[in-house]
Amino acid sequence: MSFITVFALGLSLLVLAPTLAHLLRRGRPNEQPFPAAALVPVTRSTARERSRLEDRGLLLLRALMILCLALLGAGPLVRCSRVALGRSGGASVAIAIVVDDSASMRTRLSNGKTRFQRAVEGAHELLGSAREGDAVALVLAGKPARLSLAAATDLQAASRAVDELRPSDRATDLTVAIALANAALSSLPHKDKRVILLSDLAGDLPPEPSPGVWTALPELASKSDDCGVLRAEQSGPRVTAVVACSSEVAARARTLKLVSKDASAKAEARLVVQRGEQTLTLEAKAGASGTVELTGADQNPDDDRADIAPESRGLSLAVHVDVAGEAVATGGAPLLEQALHSLSYGIPVRPLAELPREATELNDVAALFIDDPPGLTPETRGVIDGWVEGGAVAALFLGARAHDTQLGASLEPFMRGAVDWEPLPAGTDVDVGSFNWLGAEADSLKQLAPKGRARLDSAILPGAEVVGRWSDGKVLVTRQERGRGLLFSVGLPVSVEVSDLPLRPAFLALLDHIVGEALRRRGPRASEAGTEWWFPASGNLQVTGSAGPLVLREADGQRVVTPETSGRYTINLNGKSEARFITLPADEVLSVPKQDLPNTWRATKGGAAPQVDASPELSWLLLGLLALEVGARFWRLVRERRAQGAIQPAPP
Amino acid sequence: MTEVRSKLDWGAFAPLRLKARSVADGVYAGSHKSPRKGSGVEFGGHRAYVPGDDLRYIDRHALMRHGELLIREFETETDRDLWLFVDATKSMSYAGPGAPGPKYAFAALLAAALAYIAVRTGDRVGLDFLGGKGARSIPPRSGRDAFERIALALEDVEPDGDLSGDKSLIEQALGQAQRGARRGAIQVVLTDLLDLPAGSLQALTTLTTRGRLLQVIQVLSPAERDFPFEGAVQLRSLEGKSIVETDGALSRQNYLAALAAAQRNAEQQLVPRGGRLLKCATTDAPEELVRRILSSHVEPTA
Repeated sequence: MSFITVFALGLSLLVLAPTLAHLLRRGRPNEQPFPAAALVPVTRSTARERSRLEDRGLLLLRALMILCLALLGAGPLVRCSRVALGRSGGASVAIAIVVDDSASMRTRLSNGKTRFQRAVEGAHELLGSAREGDAVALVLAGKPARLSLAAATDLQAASRAVDELRPSDRATDLTVAIALANAALSSLPHKDKRVILLSDLAGDLPPEPSPGVWTALPELASKSDDCGVLRAEQSGPRVTAVVACSSEVAARARTLKLVSKDASAKAEARLVVQRGEQTLTLEAKAGASGTVELTGADQNPDDDRADIAPESRGLSLAVHVDVAGEAVATGGAPLLEQALHSLSYGIPVRPLAELPREATELNDVAALFIDDPPGLTPETRGVIDGWVEGGAVAALFLGARAHDTQLGASLEPFMRGAVDWEPLPAGTDVDVGSFNWLGAEADSLKQLAPKGRARLDSAILPGAEVVGRWSDGKVLVTRQERGRGLLFSVGLPVSVEVSDLPLRPAFLALLDHIVGEALRRRGPRASEAGTEWWFPASGNLQVTGSAGPLVLREADGQRVVTPETSGRYTINLNGKSEARFITLPADEVLSVPKQDLPNTWRATKGGAAPQVDASPELSWLLLGLLALEVGARFWRLVRERRAQGAIQPAPP
Repeated sequence: MTEVRSKLDWGAFAPLRLKARSVADGVYAGSHKSPRKGSGVEFGGHRAYVPGDDLRYIDRHALMRHGELLIREFETETDRDLWLFVDATKSMSYAGPGAPGPKYAFAALLAAALAYIAVRTGDRVGLDFLGGKGARSIPPRSGRDAFERIALALEDVEPDGDLSGDKSLIEQALGQAQRGARRGAIQVVLTDLLDLPAGSLQALTTLTTRGRLLQVIQVLSPAERDFPFEGAVQLRSLEGKSIVETDGALSRQNYLAALAAAQRNAEQQLVPRGGRLLKCATTDAPEELVRRILSSHVEPTA
């Protein structure tokens, strides 16, 4: 702090001057000669009181003006809690502001604001200190991290983008967010590039810290005491709820209670005083709906309640293979099952001894794989057709048995009628280029040399798309949209006796693609905030959460909805209603803000401190005070003039 | 010689001589009727004889015709002394907000105008002061020179002195007039009636004996009449040691009531003894005031 700063701040002592003047003046009211004083009644106390009140207003105005002048003299070296960009050389800077919009940012700070509100304020403060020529990018660190605003020099657009930010119940994805921020700045010509992290740091940090990251608001990473209800599910006559507490203090003297429209359904359970997750069971009627709530208070009241999800089994993958024909020589499950297990989705794989004949058999099935069937019966065709249209995916692998379709059976809705099986013509191979959508694994399809192939060309249904071909142009794989679902047809069976396709990486890539599509279309019953729900482009669709209908957006020819907050959502598609639930990630309650940050993150790049030039605000304040003073004096003058005017002689 | 000889700021009332002549010209010039009935040429009526009446005025015709003793009365034009008493105490130096000048200046203007009128009609004019620095009495004189003497004496005075604590100073000041004023003389006292000691009004009423007329002109400043103060003020009297701390707006009504009560009290003491009280402020038109003072001499007392 320089001598000038100290001197300017020392001037604030002059605030004592009007105070002393006031004290001296208070003892002597305005004395005037008046011959008839003997006739005037004494009202001393009232007069003194009024004088004191009027003078105090003026005294305050003058004292504030002196303080403003002192601070103006000391500026811009006055430190305050605002964050601002320090400039070491005065050159333009490129900044990527990473705003954490995860669920833990809903935690209240000591001033009553949430961490997210403070982060948004900080972003605005940073934008306020940016100058023309500075480039700003905006990245959101809620999982999955995304780029909200690409780097641009339009500061007003950046300010509007910050205004539109809303808190969410997403998980934290700082690593990807910082990578995105660095990528957003990488192509800019600015020499001074900084990633400014406005986060509570309650998440995984990059293993190798970037040197240009600045944690501008360390107060966001303060320790908090919070308990949150992660999820609640109806399980028979009970409601099972999972509660997470960040500390023992947060769990002390708190209970979880059932809140239902049914007044008779009253149940509560006391929390165990411990840090971590705990499962609580509440007795309730079967089919009870409502919410569970935590009593008591903590620093994040937004996660103290959760909607009760109805009982549901998890999704599964169904596989129908001819066990006799597809059994592996070494024993164990068929190749198709083993391949699906190897994808490690964590979704159970359910073998079907027979193809489904009733719709209920495919409940909770996300994807169905059928290997070399001898045709599909009308019942099976009807079940699969309706099931796929509801948002599922089915894949049909055709082998030699497809040629021997039984009477009354066909391959619809995959293919029209039946298909022929033929030996592969010599010199024919897979057209690898047509399988580029499988990624790098497509190269593994070279020199496949199967013993035969199903001739799909003549059986392709209208609307089906050829997505894989043989080198002679014949069709190998088709893809067909059906309602919300998808149908795949492959012209080879999953059999090592026909080809080594099941052993090729491209086969796993194909299965991964099919399962991914299935999960995306079916959508899990319960998922985390930020999960995208995909729906077909056509049809009447409305997704409604607790805050009203969600905004639909178009992507890849489909409609996508991204729920941001936890709770119950109702999906209404073509008159069919479905409930889905967004649960709270446990890490958002349990993760402790990181304190052992890299040293390079503590200070701004270039060593500039977060100092703020408050001169404009102080100047406006000073002008306002001056106007008040002038107004008060004018008002007094008018009052005195009026008093004098009352005794002016009348005009002749 | 400067028009203003004292240290007083005469304000809009300077120069005194010119202003006084202007006021007098604005009133009227000429004779004024004497309210005293006595010897003269114009018959004024009869009244019953009382012992001590001049036997020359007994109406013999009436005595012979009716057998009653009646006295014949006549209205007559006569030269009458005009005595002017001007309050020149410290309180008369007060002007106050909105006033064209101090009260003494206004009183001096009225006195000079009255003197000018009297001199022009051949009456004798005398002057005396209550208090005042450099004050000197002017015995009754007539002629053009008398006005100059009176104007000079009025200008020479600087309002000063405190009569509030001593009633004897009032009696002393009025003593000469009491002794020297002729029967039927008109006595005009120009004062603010403020800061006077108890019994001062009684002393003034002694001037009404022997058929002399007394006019008390209360001269107030606009501030004393209206009390325009706002907020907290500390008011200090110019005579005595009264210091009052008050709130202007809150005290206004009470002050005006106290002033009205004091004026009623003065009237109650003066009127029964043949005196008159005329209230005015320094913002009033002096011509009208002089006209009222003169006209009141020929009108019966209330």
